Amino acid sequence: MSDNVIETMCLSKQYDGKGGCKQITLQVPRGSVFGFLGQNGAGKSTFVRTMLGLLHPTEGSATMLGHPIGSVESRRKVGYLPELFRYPDWLTGRQLLKHHGEICGLSKRERDRVIGEVVEIVGLGGRVDERIRGYSKGMQQRIGLACALLSDPELIFLDEPTSALDPIGRKEVRELIARLRDQGKTVFLNSHLLSEMESVCDYVGIIHRSELVTSGEWRKLSTVKPQVEITMEQTSTDWHVHLPFVKDTRLLKEWDGQSIWLVTLDQEGRVPALLHELMAGGAAVHEVIRKQQSLEEVFLYWVQQKERETHVANH
Amino acid sequence: MWPIIKITYREMISKRIFTITVLMSLAFLLLFGVATWFAAREVSDKLGAASADVMMMKGFFSTQLLGMGLYFGSIITALLAILSSVGSIASEIESHQIDTWLARAMTRRQYMLGKFLGLASMLILYAVLLYLGLIAINQWVGGGEMAVRISASQVMAGLGYFILLPVILVCVSLLMSSMTTTVTGGIVLIILYGISFIGGFVEQLGSLINQESLIQIGIVSSLIFPTDSLFRLSTLSLFEAVDNPLSFASQGIFGTASAPSPAMLAYTLLYGVVALFFAIRIFQKRDV
Repeated sequence: MSDNVIETMCLSKQYDGKGGCKQITLQVPRGSVFGFLGQNGAGKSTFVRTMLGLLHPTEGSATMLGHPIGSVESRRKVGYLPELFRYPDWLTGRQLLKHHGEICGLSKRERDRVIGEVVEIVGLGGRVDERIRGYSKGMQQRIGLACALLSDPELIFLDEPTSALDPIGRKEVRELIARLRDQGKTVFLNSHLLSEMESVCDYVGIIHRSELVTSGEWRKLSTVKPQVEITMEQTSTDWHVHLPFVKDTRLLKEWDGQSIWLVTLDQEGRVPALLHELMAGGAAVHEVIRKQQSLEEVFLYWVQQKERETHVANH
Repeated sequence: MWPIIKITYREMISKRIFTITVLMSLAFLLLFGVATWFAAREVSDKLGAASADVMMMKGFFSTQLLGMGLYFGSIITALLAILSSVGSIASEIESHQIDTWLARAMTRRQYMLGKFLGLASMLILYAVLLYLGLIAINQWVGGGEMAVRISASQVMAGLGYFILLPVILVCVSLLMSSMTTTVTGGIVLIILYGISFIGGFVEQLGSLINQESLIQIGIVSSLIFPTDSLFRLSTLSLFEAVDNPLSFASQGIFGTASAPSPAMLAYTLLYGVVALFFAIRIFQKRDV
């Protein structure tokens, strides 16, 4: 079996040649949490809906769990929490889960057991026999999450899974995602809440204006801009002008003759050379901290780079 | 497919339109029963002895009264069929409720057929109860004066045509539901049903006064939407053969002076099958 649960090749879903998602080629490794990042309207949900066969691709191909998208087989072990979670409000939570369980082919006994488990996992235990029309938005999102987990899926699409949840609910969902990964399941997480994604994602893909800007291991992508924070005694503010590998500097703090600088290097592995030059120049270096980029910084870096490329191409 | 049929049952029962229609149908049956009882008493009091003329008149009244009940019953059934099924796909797409169902390991054909079987079987049950309710009232409340002389086989044949009406309407409603929005689909279907309804009367009228052009208008309207022919076949089966000069089947506004041909019946059935076929095809190809 392939190590990738999702493989797409130039997958596009556009409306009259516009919008949606365009030429998306990516792989999602089995057992990982893949964060699909993008602004509102970037094409994240369109991509997910195309993978699930709700939308028909206009171009390209893709497989899910080894089967071509659109086929019944590709969806057999898949769970889905949509962004616009709407469920028949005339059903109770339990009835909804029972119907989904029946469609998934679960026996009555199995269904009852699994329903009991998932409602506890999503924190709906006491309210599952109430009609959905009486549920708050947060509860509807929780019942949607329970639906997504019902069939013990290998791959789970969560489209903005915490949009209606309070901070405690968000934390619970993050913990749930981590648990699912520990169980060997793959989670495809769509969100524009970068701070939330940062703590749970192993891999990320960044989509901007319908196009995939980059994708890969999040920790590797986070080194896009090699930066260090240096605490040193240095009186001159132009200490870096003769260092060609220093791309940018920013004075963060200054006190008692010491200063903290955020230094952006042109590539990884320049720290020893930087220290050597500083020492040679007579600077007293007290501390060097390698700066880890936040997901937000990584996201902005790639989006801005894409914007620049587009700008150059258009002029 | 079975889970979708079950969800469809549950949905129909949960929806207010079904409950209201059932309650109003009970009220209609009650009213029909009262009308039949009074008619039977009046006929008995005023027409008196059983001469040939009186027998003819009684026969005419009783078939007209039952025909009227059945016609109104067919309208209620048709409206219930349209209103409960025209939004069954479209409204779920509009609200995105359909997303999580279709994201399961199930084909869209299975989903559509599940909807069709759920809706059609529920509406057949409703139509059977309504039809037999009307017949039972006519037979028991009408007594010797207003009860139409009909055999069980006539009732069954009439019922067979009567229950085809909601089935055909569900097929066409699902086609509209897979193509367009609930409101648009509902309007189009009610207009089509209206064309068939008016066309049916125009055709019967044309036949009564021997106006070929009116008959042709009726035939064209039946080709556009052939539901009226089912009602005509149903009354024809119930109230004897059309070629019998003494038959009440051909008399009055609810009778069938111009009988639909077997080709029209075949056309009607084909109409439903083709509508369902295209409903599935369009639903398979569309984005939701």
